[in-house]
Amino acid sequence: MKTIRSNSRLSWIALSIFVLTACSSIDGSRSVNNPGMSGRTLAMQVCSACHGVTGDSTSPNFPKLNGQQKDYLIAQLDDFKGHVRSDAKAQEHMWGFTRLTTAQISEIADYFSGQAPMRGKSISSPALARGETIYRSGLPDMGVVQCSSCHGPSGEGNGTFPRLAGQHANYLVQQIEVFQQTEQRPRGGPMKVVTHGLKEADTEAVAQYLESMGSPSNAGIH
Amino acid sequence: MPFVLSLAFMLFNLLFNQAAQAVPSFARQTGQSCVACHAGGQYPELTSYGRLFKLTGYTIGERSNPLAAMVVASQTTTQNNNDSSGQALSKTDGLPILASGSLFVAGKITDNVGGFAQFTYTPYDTAAANGTTNGHFSSDNFDLRYADRKVDDRSDLIWGVSLHNNPTVQDVWNSTPAWGYPYLSPGGLPNSPQIEGSLAQHVAGVGAYVYWNKSIYAELATYQTAKGPWGFLSMGNQTGNADHPLTHLNGNALYWRLAYTKEWDAHNIMVGAFGMDTKLFPLDSAAFTPITDTGSTRYQDVGFDAQYQYLLAPHTVTAQLRVVQENITDETGLAYAGPATLNSNKAKASYVYRATYGTSLAYTSVAGSADATAYTTSALNSPDSEMWTEELFWMPKQDLRVGVQFNHFTKYLGTDTNYDGAGRNASDNDTTYMYLWAAF
Repeated sequence: MKTIRSNSRLSWIALSIFVLTACSSIDGSRSVNNPGMSGRTLAMQVCSACHGVTGDSTSPNFPKLNGQQKDYLIAQLDDFKGHVRSDAKAQEHMWGFTRLTTAQISEIADYFSGQAPMRGKSISSPALARGETIYRSGLPDMGVVQCSSCHGPSGEGNGTFPRLAGQHANYLVQQIEVFQQTEQRPRGGPMKVVTHGLKEADTEAVAQYLESMGSPSNAGIH
Repeated sequence: MPFVLSLAFMLFNLLFNQAAQAVPSFARQTGQSCVACHAGGQYPELTSYGRLFKLTGYTIGERSNPLAAMVVASQTTTQNNNDSSGQALSKTDGLPILASGSLFVAGKITDNVGGFAQFTYTPYDTAAANGTTNGHFSSDNFDLRYADRKVDDRSDLIWGVSLHNNPTVQDVWNSTPAWGYPYLSPGGLPNSPQIEGSLAQHVAGVGAYVYWNKSIYAELATYQTAKGPWGFLSMGNQTGNADHPLTHLNGNALYWRLAYTKEWDAHNIMVGAFGMDTKLFPLDSAAFTPITDTGSTRYQDVGFDAQYQYLLAPHTVTAQLRVVQENITDETGLAYAGPATLNSNKAKASYVYRATYGTSLAYTSVAGSADATAYTTSALNSPDSEMWTEELFWMPKQDLRVGVQFNHFTKYLGTDTNYDGAGRNASDNDTTYMYLWAAF
């Protein structure tokens, strides 16, 4: 009798799992193909798993999105959706988002661009000065144009030119290599031209400088 | 016949190759690659994202074809495959075999409910009377869960309930037994605490969990014998079956779990503890039915575990550590001669380059009180055993792994030499294990 009671109890507990499904609401959904979901819900329930709730991602595997330019975010989400952006990370993590609506993409971009901008990381490295030179003046002898002409004097970005200040250095290095060596980011055509002459050490230097940009402890470096 | 084969081929393609990438159903559901959820692609080790995917009830993505399949082909070569009378211990030793095939039904069901159900066929399961081998089809790991997540910029709370059939199969860290290393193996140590797999596919359990601010994880679960309406969870293990008798619990077994997690840069760690209190009825050695009138044997397990991961392409470094302490009291006198302890240790580290080339090194040991009733195959009546495992693997595609594993036993049932009193040494059990592991 004891066993029968126990099994009955377990049945009730299990049954209650499915009764709970009646409690589900669209605000808690993690579907990526439901046009009824808001971009905000998608950002908080799905995007946040890698990028963090505010877009301030912990892991350099995933770019920070907080304070990113809205037009840039829309362009990238469009390219992920259409499988136009095809670098390895994009394929591995972002190619599943093919059903996002135009409205959802706009709302996701609104959500992350409206967050407090990514903060610079305190970095102590002799490469920072070289990185700053590249960012502000370029390397004319090597055909490298100053980054600030498009990305802004504070690395804040402009429209489809992304914010770079405070971004993970590792992510920046990887993307510069994608621009230099592949055609996997067609919208980045201009980047292929302006980074063509950038050597590995200089790529690292400018990426570190950008990651540190805006950090109070790196305030001496502009 | 060709028509039937063509039809079968078309059906196979329809079921398993609907997406561009021929990977199991979770990848179809999310549209993401294996490396999104599996550390360096070395399934079943989960990344931070993979853990969130599981904790949120396998519900990220869009509902899609939930079917997937897996096959394992292997060849095990044992240092000494003959017993003291010269008879072969395994008829397949040294031969390439199709070791197992699994069918998965896994994926999102509703916005809050998802599941993972695996069913496995093992062609070479037990020796048959006519000299051949019997196959065996059984329920494998099962986890059906409801989950919800309340998140804003100040707090993040994931909570859920899970119905499953293997203590720790619901866990998301690979330091606990169900998804712990080795992920494929020709066989390990002869004894282990109950929580390290003995109850898998014998029990039905329901657990509730919370994960707060990606920091604190807490869970409580209760288990009972998987029979009656829950028999599908133990399919393949049956009361009265000589080869696969069902283990019967006396009442409920309670399981608890606590863990602390932290992520920084490309690193993440977990330190945790878990425990389980199980009472088992002894098994009638002739009828393979539970003996319920002599009391039961109580196993009280407490484990401590930790996991470290560094995940930043092209490098993946992972390490897991687990210690389990088990206290045993046997009121039946049938399983143990007296109060006993059985403790286990496991440490493993892996490195994977470009989610393609990998290597692992692991140490496993058990040690406990000698007992003349429990350990009759040991000349010293001892469970003490230890082994080292080295593995090299290659993943030419994200859903295909080829590997070789070397298992070295430095102690077996109490000693390194003549552990059975018939001249067999621990190293006689050393194996070289080659495998091909493919998922569709």
